[in-house]
Amino acid sequence: MFLRVQLPLLLTFLAGLIPIVAFFFTEKARLVKVPNDRLEKWMIIIAGFAIMLGVVNVVQGNIRKIERKGPGWHYAIFLLIGLVLPGSFGLLGAFNVGPFHGISPHADGSPSPFSFFVSYVFQPLQATMFSLLAFYVASAAFRAFRVRNLEATILLLAAVVVMLGRIPLGESLFAWIPGGKLALGTFTEWLMNNPNTAAQRGIMIGAALGAASLSLRVILGIERSYLGLEKD
Amino acid sequence: MAKIKEGGLSTALQQLDRRWIFLLVAVGAILPILFPIGLSVTVTPPVRDLFDRIESLTPDDVVMVSFDYGPTTKPENGPMAAAVLRHCLARRVKVVVLALFPIGGGAMATEELDRVAAEFPTLRYGTDFVNLGYKDGGQASMKQMGEDIARVFPSDSRGTPLSRLPLMQKVRNYRDIKLVVSLATGIIGDWWINLINAQFGTPVAVGCTAVSAPKFYAYYDSHQMIGLLGGLKGASEYERLLLDAYPQVKPVYDNPMIFNAMRGMDVQTIIHAIIIGFIIIGNVAYFLGRSRAARV
Repeated sequence: MFLRVQLPLLLTFLAGLIPIVAFFFTEKARLVKVPNDRLEKWMIIIAGFAIMLGVVNVVQGNIRKIERKGPGWHYAIFLLIGLVLPGSFGLLGAFNVGPFHGISPHADGSPSPFSFFVSYVFQPLQATMFSLLAFYVASAAFRAFRVRNLEATILLLAAVVVMLGRIPLGESLFAWIPGGKLALGTFTEWLMNNPNTAAQRGIMIGAALGAASLSLRVILGIERSYLGLEKD
Repeated sequence: MAKIKEGGLSTALQQLDRRWIFLLVAVGAILPILFPIGLSVTVTPPVRDLFDRIESLTPDDVVMVSFDYGPTTKPENGPMAAAVLRHCLARRVKVVVLALFPIGGGAMATEELDRVAAEFPTLRYGTDFVNLGYKDGGQASMKQMGEDIARVFPSDSRGTPLSRLPLMQKVRNYRDIKLVVSLATGIIGDWWINLINAQFGTPVAVGCTAVSAPKFYAYYDSHQMIGLLGGLKGASEYERLLLDAYPQVKPVYDNPMIFNAMRGMDVQTIIHAIIIGFIIIGNVAYFLGRSRAARV
């Protein structure tokens, strides 16, 4: 019971409390700053190992999918190849094994196997995925942006004004009015600086309060779901 | 035609095959790249503020440029990264580059810095600019750099210990940095403001994607950040200011083989116009359908 519940709760309490206390002290308060410093270093290392955890998870999940021949199992093969191949290039390059020298481009400008993969496979694929958004946004705007009620109308008008205000064409639309060239841009900036900022602040303050209260629940041991006890 | 007669124009429009929309968007994106329009942009205050802040720096000052984006948002973040780096190097302001974004941030930093630095052959790596590379750990890494950058980055992206780089001998932590510019997608830009500006008082500016820009206006308005480049529009405004102040960079922006935000604005203009056009058509179809239903 001590190892499964009380010890993790104590460690969580200390890991949560130390950074909070350290925030209020200067560098001279070594008693607080030294353990906080150590905790931050551990966090960087743990974050690195968390990636390994993610890799193991992805490999396990996709191997299971291929074994069961589940829907779209062919894609899992490509996913695993995409994980193993550049991962191997990166690892071998980092340890300078054979021709896999380095992970950055070489001093003469020629790419290492890993940087070649990043520049000519990974980057174009990522950019392609994100670029597809433009097509889906246009399609979704056509089907979903309707003047159904007052709220939807305000949202639609604000969206159209901001979209126009973000392009030179919008400025040209009112250029025939004296001083009109800047009118739409100025109105767009007003929208962003005032109604938008007010709403964003509400969201940010709400999210921050939520995060603070959840953190406090975890630090004080009220929230214990992360211990995985309910699975037993 | 038969469908239009049977269900009316509204039904035909509402059931429009989305592949037509995709085709129009594709044509709208490709044509301005092949045949640039060259529309001019008006500079907004958040962009001018960042430009003016870098203009106020001297060659002894150091700017930290954090690459907190990956290839997904390169078309938006890339031009602003290039413009900010080009501005700093044109003014001979020292630059320390790093990356905190795990999926391709390091590659973005190396690519942009190498490309822009090549335009300034008199400047030396290690003395005028440094690439620290990528480090995992997000907030923890950022906070640790407040004590000592070398603790987080013992060596640069080429494996050279920081102690052997003349520039890094003068830069120990944020106290030696005059400005942090985070080119961000996602939450890392917020961290620079919430942690580094709040805790260490270092001035921060963010160059973000257009979808992230609304939230950063709250920070800009409360002076937690000194400037904001919002999406491709912000990047194109910065390029405009840079071109006006430093005509020597014009050949780079005139090179048709190098993508820049001003050229990208042509595409954005056409795509926004197409989206607005489809919103209008969609609503016309919606109202036609409603009035037809009311008649029946």
